[in-house]
Amino acid sequence: MAIETLVLGAGQEVGKSCVVVTINGKRIMFDCGMHMGETDHRRYPDFRRISHSGDFNNALSCVIITHFHLDHVGALPYFTEVCGYSGPIYMTYPTKALSPLMLEDYRKVMVDRRGEEEQFTSDHIVECMKKVIALDLRQTVQVDEDLQIRPYYAGHVIGAAMFYAKVGDAEIVYTGDYNMTPDRHLGAAQIDRLRLDLLITESTYATTIRDSRYAREREFLKAVHKCVSGGGKVLIPTFALGRAQELCILLDDYWERMNLKVPIYFSSGLTIQANMYYKMLISWTSQKIKDTYSTHNAFDFKNVHNFERSMIDSPGPCVLFATPGMLSGGFSLEVFKHWGPSEKNLVTLPGYCVAGTVGHKLMSGKLTKSDLGPDSEKDIRCQVHQLAFSPHTDYKGIMDLVKFLSPKHVMLVHGEKPKMISLKEKIHSELGIPCYYPANNETVCIPSTHYENVETSDSFVRSCSNPNFKFQKCSSVDTCNSTSTDRNLMPELQVKDERVAEGILVVDRNKKAKIVHKDELLLKLGEK
Amino acid sequence: MPMDSQWREEPFSIHTLSVMRSQIINPSTPEPTLISILQALTHSLQSTNQTIHQTHHILKLLSDLAAHHSSISQLVLDSLRANSPDPSSITHLAVEGTVESLHAITSILDEGLVSLDDSLFVSLCFGPNVSARIWMLRNAGLRFQVRPALLLGVCLGFTKDPYPYVREASLEGIHCLCEHGVFEDVSLVDACYGRGVELLSDMHDCVRLSAVRVVASWGVMLAASNADMKNYLSNEVFAKLCSMARDMSMKVRVEAFNGIGKIEIVSEDFLLQSLSKRVLTFGKTKKTLYQSTSEQFVKLATSVAGALVHGLEDEFFEVRKSACQSLCTLTILSLEFAHEAINFLMDVLNDDSVVVRLQALETLHHMATNGFLKLQEKHLHMFLGVLVDTNTEVRYAERKILKVVKLNDRVLFKSSIDSLLENLVHYPQDEDDVLSALSHLGRNHKKYVGLIIKEIFEEVEAAFEGNFEFNSVRIAALLTLSISSPILNGHIGSIPPVMFSYAVTFLGRIYCAFSDIMDRNALLAYLCEKSRSTGHSGGDAPNLATIEVIESQITREPKEIANYKEEQQQPANNEVIDFANYILAKLPDMWAMIQSGFTNKVLQSLRCWKEELTTMMASDSLGCGDALAFTLQNLRIFKLLAQVWQHLLPEKKVSSQRAATLESKLGKLDKRVKELMSRFLGFSAEEEITVLELILVTFSLKLCKAKICSSNQTFKKLNAIYLQVESLLKESSTLPSNFIVELGKLLHESSTAINEASSRNPLPFDECLKFFSFKKFMFHGTIRHSNAELSIPNNDLEHPFPFVSGLPVGIPCNITAYNVSSEKRLWLRISMDDGFVHHVFLDLDLFEGSGKVKKFAFVAPFYRTTTKADSVTLKISIGLESLFENACPVQIRGGPKRELVLLCTEKQVYLSKVDKD
Repeated sequence: MAIETLVLGAGQEVGKSCVVVTINGKRIMFDCGMHMGETDHRRYPDFRRISHSGDFNNALSCVIITHFHLDHVGALPYFTEVCGYSGPIYMTYPTKALSPLMLEDYRKVMVDRRGEEEQFTSDHIVECMKKVIALDLRQTVQVDEDLQIRPYYAGHVIGAAMFYAKVGDAEIVYTGDYNMTPDRHLGAAQIDRLRLDLLITESTYATTIRDSRYAREREFLKAVHKCVSGGGKVLIPTFALGRAQELCILLDDYWERMNLKVPIYFSSGLTIQANMYYKMLISWTSQKIKDTYSTHNAFDFKNVHNFERSMIDSPGPCVLFATPGMLSGGFSLEVFKHWGPSEKNLVTLPGYCVAGTVGHKLMSGKLTKSDLGPDSEKDIRCQVHQLAFSPHTDYKGIMDLVKFLSPKHVMLVHGEKPKMISLKEKIHSELGIPCYYPANNETVCIPSTHYENVETSDSFVRSCSNPNFKFQKCSSVDTCNSTSTDRNLMPELQVKDERVAEGILVVDRNKKAKIVHKDELLLKLGEK
Repeated sequence: MPMDSQWREEPFSIHTLSVMRSQIINPSTPEPTLISILQALTHSLQSTNQTIHQTHHILKLLSDLAAHHSSISQLVLDSLRANSPDPSSITHLAVEGTVESLHAITSILDEGLVSLDDSLFVSLCFGPNVSARIWMLRNAGLRFQVRPALLLGVCLGFTKDPYPYVREASLEGIHCLCEHGVFEDVSLVDACYGRGVELLSDMHDCVRLSAVRVVASWGVMLAASNADMKNYLSNEVFAKLCSMARDMSMKVRVEAFNGIGKIEIVSEDFLLQSLSKRVLTFGKTKKTLYQSTSEQFVKLATSVAGALVHGLEDEFFEVRKSACQSLCTLTILSLEFAHEAINFLMDVLNDDSVVVRLQALETLHHMATNGFLKLQEKHLHMFLGVLVDTNTEVRYAERKILKVVKLNDRVLFKSSIDSLLENLVHYPQDEDDVLSALSHLGRNHKKYVGLIIKEIFEEVEAAFEGNFEFNSVRIAALLTLSISSPILNGHIGSIPPVMFSYAVTFLGRIYCAFSDIMDRNALLAYLCEKSRSTGHSGGDAPNLATIEVIESQITREPKEIANYKEEQQQPANNEVIDFANYILAKLPDMWAMIQSGFTNKVLQSLRCWKEELTTMMASDSLGCGDALAFTLQNLRIFKLLAQVWQHLLPEKKVSSQRAATLESKLGKLDKRVKELMSRFLGFSAEEEITVLELILVTFSLKLCKAKICSSNQTFKKLNAIYLQVESLLKESSTLPSNFIVELGKLLHESSTAINEASSRNPLPFDECLKFFSFKKFMFHGTIRHSNAELSIPNNDLEHPFPFVSGLPVGIPCNITAYNVSSEKRLWLRISMDDGFVHHVFLDLDLFEGSGKVKKFAFVAPFYRTTTKADSVTLKISIGLESLFENACPVQIRGGPKRELVLLCTEKQVYLSKVDKD
């Protein structure tokens, strides 16, 4: 028996996550993402490798989507509506709710703004979502007679899940993206200790070790507080889902505690809609929000108001959340043009900005007047604060998870190759677990567990149900316990329970295996 | 009462039993019916024709009866007892059935009644019934008093059970046993700990949770039982617990941090590692403890890495709180770690959970009372921001810290005052406590008040003259601050006396800020007195020029200050003695406070006084040195006693001084008490008894608390001192204190008992210690302080004395001895870093001068110059042989016959080798 893993995307790269795992004859596709950096056919995973005939319904047992980011769900409408897969698709409730928003937003940007040929239509998205079966956390689903799946909380974004799958005795976990340290609005990943044959984990930050979240929060709050108490305006360009809510909770909480009265604004649109979803999806948020939502829903921001375009030039301090995140256009750039010239104001930028955007230029200090369009006359003098909030786990988190789960094999996906190599070495040397990092379109085979059912004799069952332990004094020279190297003068007391070891497997003439108690065997042998 | 006819049939059918049950659980069943049921049940219990099954039902009904109707539960118990004179037979009755019946019967009976013989316990545990096994393991230790050794064996074995709940119950059993007794067999302790460590990686959360408990409790015990490997093992336990800080189960994480908070020794490197997620490279610990296995060291360091940081940023407030709490104890272990931890605690002050913020503040408060809280300017924003927190309790906790913290920077002090004033503006309801905080800040930071008094005075004066809008709360606060600084000693320093007059007008408002030390009338008297005081400015008009004087005084050399004070404070002599006696008179009252558990509060006031005394001593040039030294000595002893006493108090939950430090505290106490006896002259007989009593208390504490190997010797010494006290008592015909009386009884008993037994069972010294109370011990003119000054001319690190290997070297010493009478035996003590000690006898007849001050120049010979090193550092000091102790001389060849009490601090002498060519 073996587990066969075919990596269709996110092998030694970040983007278009798609891993097809075959366990004991069952085939599961984990994630179906698109690559945001590619424009040709390489944008989607190479689905033909699953089935050359295109009969995906027979080739796959199910598709599992871990969360709503486009590099994990982006290719799904294409796969179902264009390629014709119509089997079961599983994702969590929030992912099902928010994926269409993301897909539709992306489709609009692609088609309406860039004028590209559309890969799938709005109807495709709707049709695709109809095929989705939504799951709750830790809800075990029997996909078919042999295949069992169960989602675990992964942090990262709302609704993100790690998926456990079991076929026969072989068990694996596919993590998707996850976060091992909690946010304000999301919890840390949570999973049971399982007996895994294979763990497929993301490795985006395979070599980074991040400092305490508190320090980053403190700096952010200090910068914002300083700016508004000096009468300045704070512009927070951010993506509508996830970071916006995180930062807003942080600010709202601080405002409450420090009794600040400066208004916080959301530019309308996707953010408002997203907030509505967050308010409904409380059970997927962090423990603190779950604990307090009966008295106060944390996404019911007390100090937050809607922003009108006419308010851009109104006097007085304020904080504004506006999309898109990297000042690449849209409303956030428009506001930036108005507020940028005053040194009293502050702009916060996300940790990562794509090269070529205004955000990237601002961060690297190369912003010129001409970047802001022909009508801009003033120099940009505002303060800039870089945010370092990432919803991915760091090196330590990956190691902690691998250590906790102690699987028989580990596979790395969703990361850059040099970092994967470094992490692989660590996992191998520190934890002693074999580790793989296949490239795209490569297949890796690993052996899997298989248990055999055999008959047992009554006396063996009886002896097993009664406790039977012994104490043994042995000098620790015999034991290969590494922690006791310095204590070898002392005989060690050890507890042994050898009930099961007293069983002996015998195969009779009909090739039937049976376990009998050792005394029984002696008796039998004695008879003959 | 005739038995109800309906319960006649016997044995009862299931139907009858269920009718009975519904009668029992119905709360409105009349009592007579219940009693008749009870009678029927107890009657049938006695008849022999019951099956095991029926017995069980009957017992269950009886327990229901007792549980549902409290009015007749006593009756149920009585009838059960009456029907079987031997209580163990009832148990037996039940045990023959099932564990369920045992459960039923134990719920009726009181704990003490049920006893279970060991074989029965074992047979029940080893039966195939799993739930019975769990029940037995859970209840064995608590209810049946099974022999601990047996129970431990059984529990240890069941940690291998395939059922997780059995493993959990057995681990819990092992954990409980650790709390109940001390186990001699190290290998057994090791085995328990080893099982715990192994099960830390169990599949089931509940087992891991119990395993963490076992590792924490048995790990500490293992470390304690293994003196040479204590540090190594403690580090290992710490690492094991830290590795559980990243468990997926919240409860396990909470327990891990609870365990971490119990560890008594951890090397500093590991502590610092727990605050960094990156694995640090270390020198010290690695070299000393892990020479051979640096790989293993890295492994341990990896599991420690960032554990506390993870705990502090955990998703669950329970974990964050527990992590904060563990910092309480860990920060005491290392100053550097404490400094590092403050940075993280400051961030926790921004936590969204009030419980966690409060715990963080509590931890900071704990650090402040122990003197480990060193605030820096970068902390100001977070730390003082808490004063405008919306939560009342959080603000209160923050002010509690401000009341005890020692700020070492003028900027910090000023910002704290400003933030408190802001607090007052935002939350006027906090007024009382803010004023109290200001009064404490003023008392603790006299010199900083002196630095800002000018601004304060101007503002207050302007307000009183009506130049500004009269903001009365603010003025009250400023006045509180100004008048509080001279409250602990007499000098008003640079504070204009008119401030005290102003304060009188606010008396009603500010008196509660001082309620911890004086009532309203006392404050009024104090204010009136101070407002009349002329200070050293010599007039009503405040002389603000003195501020500059004070400012410069802080930076001046101590000697200059001495001169300065001499000029200014001629008539202060009596005032100093008054102050000393004021403190001494307070001590007995404070002892009462310690008895009732307010140790931290007491320690805090002691610290203020101590600082005050040390500054006064440094500037003393008059004859009050004796009074100050005497008071300081008493304060030190009092402080140590208070700290040690915490371990005697019944509810010592998270006592600040852990058992590990107890021994060192006792050692210090011993030294200080002996100093009091030897270094002060002129005690009356009564006073001498008081001092000897303190020595007796110290010995008793040693005997009952610390695991000192030489307890036999301590006991002998105790006996000797007691005899001395007894004879003194006879001579002086004073009444012995309660403590002495009780101690006498105890010693008498022990001498009549067999020697063997007394060494086995320690005498109940803690019983008679309860009778001890701190006596009022005033300073008077005849008490003199023996003191010595030692100077080695022309020697420092750059100008060492030369020596030739193998030849003796002479060290010129200038010695001045104060109040050392000629019958005393004085020694020069020369020690080297490797533990070598050499004593030189000083003949007092050779000293010049007579009476109080004796001077002597002397060349001390030093012979041990055969060392290979090129340079040698010696430590020299002067010691006085303590003559009062004549038992068990500490014989060092050619040296003093008794313990030495040092009269001066050790001086370093540098020697360097000269080449023979």
